[in-house]
Amino acid sequence: MDMHAGSLAVAPAVQVRPRSGLRLGWVWSGALLLVLAFLVIYPMTMLLLGALTGGDPVVDGYKLESLSLDTFRTVLGNENVHAALLNSLVACGGGTAMAVVIGLAFAWIVVRTDTPCKRLIAAAGMLPLFVPPLVGGVAWAILGSPKTGLLNIIMARMGLDFRVDLYSMAGMIFVFGMYYAPYVYMFTASALRNMDPSLEEAAEMSGASSLRTLMTVTFPLILPAIVSGMLLSFIVMLGIYGIPAVLGTPAKIPVLTTYIYTLTNWSPPLYGTAAAVALLLMVVTGALVWLQGRVLSGRSYTTVAGKAFRPRALRLGPWRWFTLGLALFYTAVVVLLPCLALIVAAFRKFLFVRDLASLVDLNQYSLIHFDRLLSNPQTTQALLNTLETGLTTAVVGGLLSFAIGYTVVRTRVPGRRLVDIISTIPVAIPGLVIGVAYLWAWIGLPGGLYGTIWILSLAFVARFIPDTVKALSTSLMQIHKELEEAAWICGRSTLGTIRTIVLQLARPGVVAAMTLLFILSTRELGSSLFLYSSGSMVMAVQLLGLYEGGNLSITAAYSLIQIMLLGGVIGLSHLLTHQSTPQPSSGGVGRAG
Amino acid sequence: MLTRRHSLLAGAGLALPGLLRSAHAQAPVPRYEPSPALVEAARKEGRLVLYTASFTEVEQETAAQFNKRFPFVRIEIIRASGGQLITRVRTEAAAGKLVADVVDHSDRALMKGIEDLFVEYAPPNGADYLETARISDRIWPRITPVWALAYNSELLQKPPTSWADLTDAARFKPGTLGQVIAPSGGTTWTRIMFERQVMGDDYWAKQAATKPTLYPSSAPLADAVVRGEVLAAPVVRNVVYSKVKDGAPVKLVYPTEGIPVCPYATGIPKSSTRQNAARLFLDWSMSVEGQSWTMAEQGNLTSLRAPPRGLAGFDPAVHKIWLPEQKPFETLRDPWTEEWNKTFGYRQ
Repeated sequence: MDMHAGSLAVAPAVQVRPRSGLRLGWVWSGALLLVLAFLVIYPMTMLLLGALTGGDPVVDGYKLESLSLDTFRTVLGNENVHAALLNSLVACGGGTAMAVVIGLAFAWIVVRTDTPCKRLIAAAGMLPLFVPPLVGGVAWAILGSPKTGLLNIIMARMGLDFRVDLYSMAGMIFVFGMYYAPYVYMFTASALRNMDPSLEEAAEMSGASSLRTLMTVTFPLILPAIVSGMLLSFIVMLGIYGIPAVLGTPAKIPVLTTYIYTLTNWSPPLYGTAAAVALLLMVVTGALVWLQGRVLSGRSYTTVAGKAFRPRALRLGPWRWFTLGLALFYTAVVVLLPCLALIVAAFRKFLFVRDLASLVDLNQYSLIHFDRLLSNPQTTQALLNTLETGLTTAVVGGLLSFAIGYTVVRTRVPGRRLVDIISTIPVAIPGLVIGVAYLWAWIGLPGGLYGTIWILSLAFVARFIPDTVKALSTSLMQIHKELEEAAWICGRSTLGTIRTIVLQLARPGVVAAMTLLFILSTRELGSSLFLYSSGSMVMAVQLLGLYEGGNLSITAAYSLIQIMLLGGVIGLSHLLTHQSTPQPSSGGVGRAG
Repeated sequence: MLTRRHSLLAGAGLALPGLLRSAHAQAPVPRYEPSPALVEAARKEGRLVLYTASFTEVEQETAAQFNKRFPFVRIEIIRASGGQLITRVRTEAAAGKLVADVVDHSDRALMKGIEDLFVEYAPPNGADYLETARISDRIWPRITPVWALAYNSELLQKPPTSWADLTDAARFKPGTLGQVIAPSGGTTWTRIMFERQVMGDDYWAKQAATKPTLYPSSAPLADAVVRGEVLAAPVVRNVVYSKVKDGAPVKLVYPTEGIPVCPYATGIPKSSTRQNAARLFLDWSMSVEGQSWTMAEQGNLTSLRAPPRGLAGFDPAVHKIWLPEQKPFETLRDPWTEEWNKTFGYRQ
């Protein structure tokens, strides 16, 4: 599965009906381009102006004569920026390497072995992608703080000298690797399923051992999928704020996202510098997206043959219990441990744990943090705002994404390639950057957009267009053009055909894409930070406020509420569509935050 | 540059009246009685938006207390760090969309720079406030937070009692002390200005030599003290006070060399559409009733000439309040913050 919608244009496309005409095609794609210009191009232009003038274009204004590259020069010559960039590359590179090892092993266990409970393992292994990064970071901080981490307290009680220190580069790499391994898993598992096993059988018949077959045939054949998953993991990690904020900041390890946030948090804030650093991050991300597209345009489908086959399951014998153990260990570490940590923190009166006896002393536990949280009217307001924002984003974004996806994948209207390219740009823009850009771009617009949930919804729609377009495009690609042609022959109009044929057949995909949008917007922090107002506070922003407010227990209580909300939405979506629970194959779920 | 002696004298105006009062010898607190017209007008407005750089939990307590008297005015709190808050105010104001009804900031110098955004306002007891704590006819010291030393009482048997103790590298291993970074806002700028002016030019270097763990603000630092991440740290007292009352393993001491205080700067924007609710809230906050409550329940000081009560644990014979002079507070911030960042190896 590729990352951007661009390569989906190779799908079977149909001509817009002749009577629609070339002019109508231009009108349609022109309308889409106008919407995309408002959502993507205009905010990015404002961001560039901010970087070129070194200030806040709304407050300070901007004049053409004041444009200069000074901020960029300063940023590029600043050794702290170099350090943040280097830290980003090391943390994301290390995390990606770990994600590849885990994801690949996990994919092989699930797809190519007879390990028991595979479906359960596969489902549980995907859960980390739905956990907001800030929540994941907080959970691991509670577990792995060098001085007060629960793991260290338990190890001390057991008489072990070893101590865990997740407030470190190694800690960030570990958590990144654990949380983003599912990306590599998704890509490689899909490739392994689609791979004709006759290639492996041929190798084994030639005398190669199972291990040698794995290393010399299987993995090289799915190399594009591995590289693709690897690059996507890297890109996603590069834009994440929550994990490095919690684990890197105490160890004085800035990465680009935390550095940008610090610049905007400064007193007085350095927005121009933040914009310049943000553009640097965009360039790095954009280069990786381009590289990923290049990789995918090569050999990604060469293992898919025309004939039917069943993926080969390797009989592991007694070793299958070992692989089951490995999979369960991963699931326990990545799902159960953080949840337990959040539960302990949320229910404990104070997060001071002197020893193991204190940890299990029930007198230390109470509902005080939930009481405080739920008695705060802001919590209810944030919950309602989050649901409202999520719903509007899902509906508006779903419609727009369907329109873009249909135009790109199933028509040959003029300008569709440009629509495709512009709608893909937000992939390379981290949430924090998009927040500043949208604030500058939209606060001055007439009509009272600022201060409403609509500004948040529009920001989320723009930010996640690439993810939903691709998720929808996958469904659209599966519908053969003959079905539409049959409807036209029967006299249906283009819109009628879309409504009665395409939408009906793509319904599971549409529901999945809209659910995906809902989940993404519920988790999204970066772009919300600069756009919320008193009446439009959302849960992600309130969560960061609680974390920055220093009360880890209330933060943990709120994290549990957010996780339960997301779990409810995923469950509901699953019930509605039976099988179209949003698979984060688009790479979108982990992008938020 | 100010000498140590000069600095202490600068603080004397705020120090003398309030600290002569014992914590246990309090006169009855007069109840704030607003005019019926103001109450009715505020009731019609029904809510107000408070932009504040103070801590969310602290301001939620304030809102809850205000609502005990005036339940018909709902307070919506937007909390942001000093830098973000001033940018939000400036950006919204520039776009004509400032939604705040009350803006409350820790940096008086930054607020002075945008004082034209605010209406001329004085609370009914405005004349009772110290001139040294004020910067404008539009902006008032709604709260006056005070610094103290917090320590984990379960882990530290011999707590620090002075600022000098925080430079004792033999006593505190690297990472066991905590510090809030200098550029976090006006409250911390007040503290680092005090450290240099009163404790000496080399104080930062000596403190940095203990390799303290740095935190973005007092709130996470206070929680870190409770959890035992750090053993002791200077913190804004109001963020720890509620934890102490709840029974957390943390205690507070006032350092002997002086106690920096940072009067906030609070005003009502001209663009506010709920001026009456804003006035009612500010009038109550600034009243003797409001100031007495925040002293008793949040551990803040007051900028009233005649404080209505003392502070628990505060001995006026031993402890001296320190308030920075306004001019150096404005002019020294950027160069000194830059120096502090370098001394503590804090990157920017």
